[in-house]
Amino acid sequence: MKTFYYSLLMCFLSSPFYAQKTPMLSDTTQVNTLEEMLIIAKKKKIETEMKMAVSVDEYLASSDQISFIKRGAYAWEPLLNNMSSERSKITIDGMHIFGACTDKMDPITAYVESNNLAEIDIKSGQEGSMHGATVSGSINLKRKNTLFSDYGSEWKGTYQTGYEFNNKQFFNLGNLSFASDKFVADASVAYRKASNYTDGKDNEVKHSQYKKFNTSLGLAYKTSPLSALRFDAIFDVAKDVGYPALPMDLWLSRALITSVSYKKLFEEGLLRVWDTKLYFNTIEHYMDDTTRPENLVHMDMPGWSTTFGLTSKANLRKENLSSEIQVNAYQNIAIAEMRMYPQDRSERTMFAYSWPWVTTRYAGVSLGNSWDISPISQLNFGGSLGLNYNHSKYIDFNWIFYPGAPQEKTRFLPSIYTNYTLFANKFNVTIGGGYGQRAPSVSEAYGYYIYNSFDRYDYVGNPNLKNETSYELNASAGFKTENLNLSAKVNYFYIKDYIIGEILSLGSPMNYQSVGVKGYTALSYAEIVNFSLNGSYKITPNLQWKGNLTYVRGKDDKGGNLPFIRPLSYQTAFVYNYKKLSVQTSLNGDLEQVDYSPKYGEDNTPAYKIWNLSANYAFYIKNNKFIFQIGAENVLNEYYSTYADWGNIPRMGRNVFTSLKIDF
Amino acid sequence: MKAIHLVLPALFFAVTSCTLDKTDFEEEIAVEIPENYSFEEVFSSQKETYKISVEALNGTFYKGYNEVRVKLTNVQTEEFLANSTITFFPVLTVADKQESCPHASILEYNSDEQYFEGYVVFTKDSNVGDWNIQLNFTIESGDFQVDKIVSVVQQPNKNLNMTSFTGNDEQYYIIALIAPQKPKVAENNLVAGIYKYVGDESAIINNEPNALASSFAVVNKYTLLLDPRMPEPSMGNHSSPNNRDLIQGEDGLYHGVVNYTMTGNWTLNFIMQNQNGKIVKGTEVSTDFTPGVEGEKSELYIDILF
Repeated sequence: MKTFYYSLLMCFLSSPFYAQKTPMLSDTTQVNTLEEMLIIAKKKKIETEMKMAVSVDEYLASSDQISFIKRGAYAWEPLLNNMSSERSKITIDGMHIFGACTDKMDPITAYVESNNLAEIDIKSGQEGSMHGATVSGSINLKRKNTLFSDYGSEWKGTYQTGYEFNNKQFFNLGNLSFASDKFVADASVAYRKASNYTDGKDNEVKHSQYKKFNTSLGLAYKTSPLSALRFDAIFDVAKDVGYPALPMDLWLSRALITSVSYKKLFEEGLLRVWDTKLYFNTIEHYMDDTTRPENLVHMDMPGWSTTFGLTSKANLRKENLSSEIQVNAYQNIAIAEMRMYPQDRSERTMFAYSWPWVTTRYAGVSLGNSWDISPISQLNFGGSLGLNYNHSKYIDFNWIFYPGAPQEKTRFLPSIYTNYTLFANKFNVTIGGGYGQRAPSVSEAYGYYIYNSFDRYDYVGNPNLKNETSYELNASAGFKTENLNLSAKVNYFYIKDYIIGEILSLGSPMNYQSVGVKGYTALSYAEIVNFSLNGSYKITPNLQWKGNLTYVRGKDDKGGNLPFIRPLSYQTAFVYNYKKLSVQTSLNGDLEQVDYSPKYGEDNTPAYKIWNLSANYAFYIKNNKFIFQIGAENVLNEYYSTYADWGNIPRMGRNVFTSLKIDF
Repeated sequence: MKAIHLVLPALFFAVTSCTLDKTDFEEEIAVEIPENYSFEEVFSSQKETYKISVEALNGTFYKGYNEVRVKLTNVQTEEFLANSTITFFPVLTVADKQESCPHASILEYNSDEQYFEGYVVFTKDSNVGDWNIQLNFTIESGDFQVDKIVSVVQQPNKNLNMTSFTGNDEQYYIIALIAPQKPKVAENNLVAGIYKYVGDESAIINNEPNALASSFAVVNKYTLLLDPRMPEPSMGNHSSPNNRDLIQGEDGLYHGVVNYTMTGNWTLNFIMQNQNGKIVKGTEVSTDFTPGVEGEKSELYIDILF
């Protein structure tokens, strides 16, 4: 069990190398805690430094490896290492799920809620290939799992409520768990309702409201002292979600995510853990513009995405080497329609598929190894080999732009990586490299007139695209004492056949706001460098400082800038604890976006800085723990939008928030 | 608390059905297009032991282009007769005035399929006047003639529309769409016939010169430049890529490629050039994207719908 997590909190609390070291140490002392491994429960709270009731998006945003494309207040698209979500693998407990919106309005992170997650694992680059082919890395959302109880039956619960003044967001999050020695149940319910938010000039940003309901259930039964069967389900509904940066809104989206898994532990021998899961998930996502009467064309864009699959992994250990072998297989069908109406909306007159019933099948084997060469050095290495198959049912649509393109395509996706870590006193150093390929996404290969309101082009997929090939180097160095923790990380990606949209001289736009047609093509290469500095210092036992700085540069093959590359950004925070009271303040911001890319629809974004402040107080009433928090984000009411906000939609102005959490 | 464990799974399974139905795409394009696949008999006539049967798609003559198949059988032996010459001659009578239309005067025998084949482009439907088909065939036992008044109805399939016009050269032309009968959101092979009025030349029909019989001729070596667009205001003059202009093939018809990017109303804008590249009819249309404005059409166009 030496998978090492670049866990989000670890980024702040300690250097990532310490995080690698921790499971290694704990493994040797884990002889009598096998039962705990049965259902992994890492008690890491999904909350940020500033806020204890965060959305999944806000939580991810606190990582220095993740940035976001935002089309409004809801369902932000996470960018890992400054690369779009096609280049990363986003999974829930290792399950593959694909959004049903052609415009990427529903990243997988939109279908979970902070109160059904335990932690989020982020792995950079090819180390993330354990779940399948990737370029930028992987994000695995891990659900909460309560442990079997050795001390008889036990009920536990958490209720959290709160109000955010800026967008009148009212939320209620509830969790309930039951544990006995044979049976465990986890349930959660969450409901959020938000109105339009106001920007830093106190103007209302129209179409930024949302409503979200999420519930989950997990049932586990211990079939023997060392094995367990588990059933999990998440059901998520979002309604009336506005996208101020788009000409349409979400009427309804629904996701049902289910799985059955069987896990077996072994006390002796090479094989330690074997975990197999069958899963099924289905997503419906209906965008329309009934709320936008000003539109000349009325268009509905319903989408469906259904996936079923299998993931099976085995953890092996022999002396100083521990390994994980994982098999992944899934099938996804992606369907998206464009239904257009004239202004009177009397009857549907025009129809086309934006995803013409595209089937994706994937099967792959991944291997990750961790070898403790000596007490002060460790080598990690691994790789994967995948087979990716695509089939477009209505290939005629794709033939309009790419006559004669094959209806089926099979691709081999190899991946390999290694890194070496040396611990010397208070210092540690890691160097590593990787190579991997990914297949084009459904939109990149088979998309048809997918409107992108960032650059206002209709995008057309190209079935003939080559695999994108990534060559990656990474290095990091850390220094750690009892009070001081410093780390620096850098990674470099050279991506061959980098897929991006370029203007086609063919064809004319279909969506009435668009200015032309872009086809997905491959640049001969692109380069991206990510650099980050993290530090924390305990000034006094009660006062702690944390800070980080990130810098990224992305260039295409002609030396031009790549789009969605974050300008120099920083965050600095102080936390002060006094008895039951805790006060936090933070300042974060981006510098001016100098290296923007007009070719890909970007304009210059000015610098901004956001000051946040919050305080919480914990107290007990009849053995129940209460935490009350009050705070304000963007205290100075700064008017700003970030480099990745579509349509330069202004972000939220000053937001006062309160929340109350009760553990019982 | 137990109730939650019962209610939640029930809720999960209640929601697995879809809220919005997916579009049945096959049905979508099938329903909107009346299409005629099989050839059926329009009329037949028996002369002595010989039966002559005229077939067209759906057993009906439509305004526009019609493929014609004629079967000649010996009723006694039930043999198809091949060694004959069949002439085909449509005449429209409107208040004592007679005119003809583009057609194949001599039907050619297709030995694989054992019928004689030709075509006729009805320029008007039977509401205007009476169409009379005159067939002459010669076999061993002599010459026979069949006259039959037929009904010509409006073509319900807009994809087989036709247009007639006077070109800049003062000549009278007819363009009739022949294929695709059932277009797809895809690359479609577009086939059209182009005919010209040449009324003053005459041919021999029934051993007599008849000016009407050859009043139309196939136009050779012209080019039909194509620019397909969606005319509705909401589509903002939307067009498609990879279209090919129509040029004449060995069968005398004009072949090109049209791409339809979505279902709906489309206009095929044409510019007709003669063999010297001179424009006979048609104007260029704007390529600008003009949302909210009805698409401009060439002076030579045919509307289709699917």
